[in-house]
Amino acid sequence: MSAPLTIISDQRYLQHDTGGGEHPEIPARLQAVSQALEASPYFSDLTFVPPHVAEREWLVKAHTEDWLFRFEEAVLAGRTYIDHTDNQICYDSYDIACLSAGAGLTGIDLIEEEKARNVFCLVRPPGHHAEHNIPFGFCFFNNCVVAARYWQHCYGKKRILIFDFDGHHGNGIQSAFEDEAAGYYISIHEHPSFSYPGTGYGDEHGLGEGKGTILNLPLSPGGGDDQVVKLLQETILPKLNEWQPDAIIIAAGFDAHREDEMTGLHYSTELYHTIGLVIRDWAEQFTEGRILSILEGGYELSVLGDSVEAYVRGLLGK
Amino acid sequence: MYISRHMTGEPITVSSAMLLPEARALLNDYQFRHLPVVDENGILLGMLTDRDLRSAYPSSVLSNSERQLVYEKVEKTTVAEIMSTDCVTLGPNSTLDDALFLFDRDQMGALPVLDEERVVGVFSIRDLTTAYKNLFGVGEKGSILIGIVDDGSPGIMTRIVTLLEEQQIPFTRLLRICGKSDGDTIYLRINTFKIAKVYALLEEEGLTVKRA
Ligand SMILES: [Zn+2]
Repeated sequence: MSAPLTIISDQRYLQHDTGGGEHPEIPARLQAVSQALEASPYFSDLTFVPPHVAEREWLVKAHTEDWLFRFEEAVLAGRTYIDHTDNQICYDSYDIACLSAGAGLTGIDLIEEEKARNVFCLVRPPGHHAEHNIPFGFCFFNNCVVAARYWQHCYGKKRILIFDFDGHHGNGIQSAFEDEAAGYYISIHEHPSFSYPGTGYGDEHGLGEGKGTILNLPLSPGGGDDQVVKLLQETILPKLNEWQPDAIIIAAGFDAHREDEMTGLHYSTELYHTIGLVIRDWAEQFTEGRILSILEGGYELSVLGDSVEAYVRGLLGK
Repeated sequence: MYISRHMTGEPITVSSAMLLPEARALLNDYQFRHLPVVDENGILLGMLTDRDLRSAYPSSVLSNSERQLVYEKVEKTTVAEIMSTDCVTLGPNSTLDDALFLFDRDQMGALPVLDEERVVGVFSIRDLTTAYKNLFGVGEKGSILIGIVDDGSPGIMTRIVTLLEEQQIPFTRLLRICGKSDGDTIYLRINTFKIAKVYALLEEEGLTVKRA
């Protein structure tokens, strides 16, 4: 009998130091999340498991050797950022990024060994902007893509859904899967004309064999709960019925909250509860309740903890 | 800005004696919509478009027997009979702007590029949009375009650039546009995640950001 919800996290995630100053992707994010979960009436439903480090063998299924080498070299040389000042690093960042990517793999093993069904990886650095060969927007390794590759190669999954509700488009996930048929990337995000990273237009549906496996659902600034609920029910669910995923990965970002300045979207805390419930229903319908969620963005500390707690409540079906 | 850097070079061409079924197969195979028609020296004689071909083939509203007649005729028709001969052309020294004006004026889908009279390339609307997309950085990962009200105050450009450089905010495009309906605007393509911070910095500097 597996726990209602397994959380994979680690104190070491706090060691990825983004230099202080005004950088929004800070260790306090995870501390805010921990505090909110500890205060939750459903804390006793959570089981905590530490992650293992993602082996190089799996990282290179999502990234080039060249990028791994460049990243490792930069931290060893004591550099403070890579390619762009958004991508702040410290001496430990390479190791912590490997541990961040490893959480998904740990979760997949637990799911496949039937020790867990519903897994949420509370990690940093986040991943969905990281590309094959370069870091982007605070992301170094694409945690969702590494997890998807692992699930494909180790356990033979052929139809992996990656649903991304972070307020930004997950350019790195799209570029990993847009020309293949084995992954379906669905993202709701702020319209690229107004928001980082300027990708994720609604008319991109995938290339070549991957035609029809990308679904970008951009919202105009100010977009909120009603539009998201409508998309979940009227647009996404019919697509999933058609596509029939055999594994579900969620890129769970919380920066579309109305209090979070990183996007112009206006989600309420309660919307994340609804999203959790809906995803739980998808998992019941398609994957015998199996879900792997991985934390992406969410930078407003005053609402991040409660938003994650609301999502967790939804995942628990409460 | 020369189109020779953006065109499709050494394009597939056809002879004027080619029969329509063969030309149609070529267009289908290569998913082109425009073929230059040339003589044995590569000199332009005309352009053949998928629209010219479609109108040569029988319409679906015809009866079967009528369609058969048209088909038989098409099988024997040469490219020379349906190509357009009064072609607007570009030269190797034409610029993107020249092409934009021509496309805008003539509503064409593609133009042949000639060196002397020989066909050396085809430049399509698609090539044009790609070139301008690159020029303005549309869809460039990690960047967005923001607008600042241009109040015409002296030194406003310097203030913007100095602020961005001091704050180490990378930017790749700076456009100053006099807008008839929208007012005068300075557009800036910034490359950073921290868009709200950039807005705040610009506003602290006394500039007005045109928010969505
Ligand atoms: Zn985000």
